Amino acid sequence: MKLRRLVAVVVIVLIAAALQTTMFARLRPFDSAPALVLLVVIAFARHIPAEAALILGFGAGVLQDLLADSPLGLWALVFTSAAYFVLRFRDRLEDDFSLIGPFVFAVTAGSLALFSVLGTIFGEKTLADVGIIKKVLLPSLYNMLLAALILPFATWVLGAARRRTTPFEL
Amino acid sequence: MWRPGNIDRPTGVFVGLLVLSLALVTVDLRASGGGLGTTLRDGAQTLFAPVERVVASATRPVADAFENLSNLFSLSADNQRLRAQVADLERQLQETESLQVRVSELEALLGVDPPAGLDSIAAQVLAVGVSEFDQVRVIDKGSDDGVGIDMPVVDEGGLIGRVVAVTGSVSRVRLITDPTIHIAVRIERTGETGVLTGRGSGPMVLELFNTDAAVVEGDLLVTADGRFPAGIPVARVRTAARAEVGFSLRTTADPVAGLTSIDFVRVLVFTRDEATVGDLEDQERLPATVPSDSGSQSEGDADQLPTTTTSTTQGGSTP
Repeated sequence: MKLRRLVAVVVIVLIAAALQTTMFARLRPFDSAPALVLLVVIAFARHIPAEAALILGFGAGVLQDLLADSPLGLWALVFTSAAYFVLRFRDRLEDDFSLIGPFVFAVTAGSLALFSVLGTIFGEKTLADVGIIKKVLLPSLYNMLLAALILPFATWVLGAARRRTTPFEL
Repeated sequence: MWRPGNIDRPTGVFVGLLVLSLALVTVDLRASGGGLGTTLRDGAQTLFAPVERVVASATRPVADAFENLSNLFSLSADNQRLRAQVADLERQLQETESLQVRVSELEALLGVDPPAGLDSIAAQVLAVGVSEFDQVRVIDKGSDDGVGIDMPVVDEGGLIGRVVAVTGSVSRVRLITDPTIHIAVRIERTGETGVLTGRGSGPMVLELFNTDAAVVEGDLLVTADGRFPAGIPVARVRTAARAEVGFSLRTTADPVAGLTSIDFVRVLVFTRDEATVGDLEDQERLPATVPSDSGSQSEGDADQLPTTTTSTTQGGSTP
């Protein structure tokens, strides 16, 4: 990945985190907000080289960990897993664009559910939250809707949909 | 047969990053609120605060428009509710004024010094937690302004949370609804003491020590002696309950502070007494931290706490 694109990706992840903590603190339909940083990771992981996508997931997760109240590394683990999941399925997604919306929903819901379970294991009592179902499903729904904006934007930022240098093949 | 050479490079990187993540979690948990994790968090918060300020001011019109739109539908109902609330508060104010005069007379008669005042620091909420699971707020005041770890944070309604991390210019506040937070509380009406526990986005859980106690809907719960200054309103009982014989009483309560829409807050300059108060979050000495007879002693203090004024009165502290 060229330096210019790398800088663009890092800046967009930072802006997404800032939007998440400021604008979406007030813009909360049904008292919930999208998981914007995760959505940005999903959007970029569709296009960039496999190792870069995993490192992006890890880095964005560490950033979220530093801004969150959870143990350092928990979000990093979740975002890295999400990036890996995207890598495994991104070729199939390009064959059938109608799957992208449900795919974003599934990855977001799976990531938030994984965080809930890991958070409870590591003492955060996330599953003790009575609104846990809502906290998993509504951000996933919002991410699915926002994907219509963010995914094309990520493609535009990277310059092209297919410029991978190391295709992920299992 | 599986061999290390069988896995492809991205999967190897993935496994490596997972191991690194788990190592970070372990190191951070073992440091338990100190060490590298805290240093990195404080540094990140300091560096990120200016970005948040810029983005917040740039997106304010969008957020304002959304809030105004959503407020349109509830304006009429809010108006009626506020009128009723104003009438009720005016009545309470008259009662409070006469009670204050009486308390002053009794204090003079008994030779009791009035409770010491608590200074407070006004602050604005800069950001919220980065995920739905974070029950935290970032405020625009830090150690340079006098904010310290463990200080209580209130709004015009009551207790919001406590400061858990401080940098020079910003602080992080953990909300009372966080599932790891346990607050020693007292029912203002009866003086019974118990523990209030957060449950994330839902109502909080109240557990009373006295199994013979009873609570009614709308009972105000105020802080008892301990981590927070006594007498700060925390929550109102949502459902009336009476304990069964041999079991502790459990019911739910709603926070009185507007936790979902807080904008401006006050940090009370108060440090808990380590010698007399155990750490409620450890849940190791819960019953011992709140003496069962402390309610009647501090009940009177709670009545005279003007917690919504600039200087909050600290009452009922452990002698």
